[in-house]
Amino acid sequence: MSARYGMVIDLDRCTGCGSCMMACAAENNVPPAPPKATTRTGLTPMLVHKVSNGAEGAAKREVFIPVTCMHCANETPCVSVCPQQAVEVDKATGIVMQMPQRCLGCRYCMVACPYHARYFNWWDPAWPAGMEKSLNPGVAVRMRGVVEKCNLCHARLHSAMEKATAAGKKEIDPADYIPACMEACPTGAILFGNLADKDDAVYSAAHSPDAFRLLARLGTEPKVYYKSEQAWVKALAERDSDHAKESKHV
Amino acid sequence: MKFSRRDLLIGSAGATAGLLLTPVPWKLLGDVSIWTQNWPWIPQPARGPVETKQTFCTLCAGGCGIRVRMAAGYAVGISGVRNHPITKGALCPLGFAAQQLNWHPQRLREVRHGGRAGSWAEAQAAFEKACGEGPVAVIDGRSGRAASTVLEAFARKRSGSYHVVLSAESEALAPYAEWSGVPVTALGYDLENARTIVSFGAPLLDGWGTPGRFTRLWSERAAGASDPQLRLIQIESSLSRTAGRAWQWVPIREGSEGKLAAGLARVLLEEHLVSSHGPMPQLSLAEVAAQTGLTSEAIRDLARKMVENRPVVVIAADGNPAVAALNVLLGAVAAPGGIVQRREHLQAQARPQATFVSPRAVLLDSTVPWEFAPQTDAEVFRFAAWDGGGNKTGWLLPAPGFLEEFTDVPTAPTSAVDTYAVALSLVTPSPEVKSATQFLLEIDPSLPAVEKVIHLRCEELFRARQGMVYAEQPIAITTFASAEKFEEQLRKGAVWVDGPPRPGGVRCELKEWPAEKVVSHGTNWAAAWAPPVFPALATKLYQESNLREAPAGRQA
Repeated sequence: MSARYGMVIDLDRCTGCGSCMMACAAENNVPPAPPKATTRTGLTPMLVHKVSNGAEGAAKREVFIPVTCMHCANETPCVSVCPQQAVEVDKATGIVMQMPQRCLGCRYCMVACPYHARYFNWWDPAWPAGMEKSLNPGVAVRMRGVVEKCNLCHARLHSAMEKATAAGKKEIDPADYIPACMEACPTGAILFGNLADKDDAVYSAAHSPDAFRLLARLGTEPKVYYKSEQAWVKALAERDSDHAKESKHV
Repeated sequence: MKFSRRDLLIGSAGATAGLLLTPVPWKLLGDVSIWTQNWPWIPQPARGPVETKQTFCTLCAGGCGIRVRMAAGYAVGISGVRNHPITKGALCPLGFAAQQLNWHPQRLREVRHGGRAGSWAEAQAAFEKACGEGPVAVIDGRSGRAASTVLEAFARKRSGSYHVVLSAESEALAPYAEWSGVPVTALGYDLENARTIVSFGAPLLDGWGTPGRFTRLWSERAAGASDPQLRLIQIESSLSRTAGRAWQWVPIREGSEGKLAAGLARVLLEEHLVSSHGPMPQLSLAEVAAQTGLTSEAIRDLARKMVENRPVVVIAADGNPAVAALNVLLGAVAAPGGIVQRREHLQAQARPQATFVSPRAVLLDSTVPWEFAPQTDAEVFRFAAWDGGGNKTGWLLPAPGFLEEFTDVPTAPTSAVDTYAVALSLVTPSPEVKSATQFLLEIDPSLPAVEKVIHLRCEELFRARQGMVYAEQPIAITTFASAEKFEEQLRKGAVWVDGPPRPGGVRCELKEWPAEKVVSHGTNWAAAWAPPVFPALATKLYQESNLREAPAGRQA
């Protein structure tokens, strides 16, 4: 199996409903927030940001930007700083894997990640009494003290691989491997697939003139692309931190 | 040989350096991180046979098709059903974690009276006593179900009254029902054939109607295009999610929707942009401009855009008749792409009564929104699966929770075509819960059981031999050999969908421009959600991100 899995998120289609965040958390057994958790300390492997163009009145425009691990392909920042080899890039799929069993919780990777797409598990994972029966049996619950992030629903990839193996096939059926966020998106804004496959819809979407990547100038080759026809939205992609402060997060 | 302090230090340093060259400290470090992942108090998912069932969400009137992943008899994952003809795989955000609801800390598991624990026997005795003293009012939150028939039958037998709490979407259709005499439950919007949709604050992209129906339509025909096949014009005071994605957003002063509707009607009539002759509103264009904050030219421009790309339909956020009158003027009532009357093959549907005769007992079904509180001196018996708080008086009776009740799923409000489905009881309910219909059947065993009504409805639909059944593949109902086979298919998660609505049927005539009502804001899926609580994971939306503001009175 040789693939380069990635996503193209059409920001002109995203309505900011939050279905991707909910489906991601439910699929990956991410616990609900303890009372003290905030936007800074919460666990949101998929996080939708609401950003405005800064104008007021009729000229005001907003865009919703779903941000997840970008699965950087080049000099992956989190991989290069991890002292425990708890992060690695799977050569067969291009997925940046996080292994909580190896993670010491030093949070170097969080500092290194230019996209703030990694989250530290500050509290013991807890659900109201009995609610653990509603957890996904295909995904292990992570302990506090480790860093978490999107792994492109790796449990679903495993299921697809098992199915292919049982059928005597070497390659998975693309229809069997769809991450929860893409499956949940009601407007089809999230497109997932093999970026190395020219016949895959995600390939042509990633190569469209409206496609761009966040902070592409860093050269980390993220495998999550965005798409928009709006010039002010595209301009957000390369804003540095000073400019980001100027953009009004609503 | 004398062992000096110097030798001790050299030995210690050497041992430390030597130890660091062995794998021991690194192995220990790694093991510690593994041990700390396996504390006994870390919750473990249920283990057991895994299977997938297809059914329908009953948490609001939308009736979305859902695929439920079950493990060891518990629901552990929910996703949309891609081949559902209406929702096409979409769900509201809360639906993706709805399996958590049955373990919500506010789940009701005991009878309560006046805030204290009671018993079913006491509740039954109190209800029968109150019913014996005077009329009973039965209030339903979702009409058209088999359970609605049982509730209505009980009210009728006891000389009581049956009422329905309408959703905001149904309220928006109420003016057409009043003008035409067609029941509001038989009206819908033929959005699939519209080319311009003008929304007066309705949250079309934020859970309006059946989640997924409009979002999929917008995504296929409008999203991202500068001149889309489907033009969505959103008239709203603030930049909502729908306004932000509309082809055109028209910001107006809050509460001036009715005034703008009158102004648009004036332009449509003055410039002969519509073929029908309607009553001219009294407000002048200058007055409308002053009250809405738009210029007269902007209003004229908007009126022209409305008729540029027909068919056009206007959607109000609530029952403001001034906004509804625009559809009459535009000829969008009883026309393709406008307000249509569904065929209604099921004849034996419970019809709500308008009069509320001072009752002695009020029974609220679990589908009634928690926020609805009847203003009455009568004894209130409220069925609910979750305690929304603040209920100190009356009886609170624990009802089945999510996926715990066998029920039917009739046509969703706003749908242009009739649909019918059956939601299964996938999760065994705890013995202490009862639905309102079970409660009434114990009091009056001569009432029809829900299963029996569902069976009769399946027979009725089978006899009509109209429409398609959407299972894995769409099948014409005529291909089924018997009503039993048809019902069996519905119990497997299929949905029956009627053919397109017949043209005509709804006749609305306006003698004068209607006086407007105060417009309230449209609701989204969060408000339409019947349970007074949210799944625990809703914290992702409200607490761990800035995506949405937590709605008042609902707890995750």
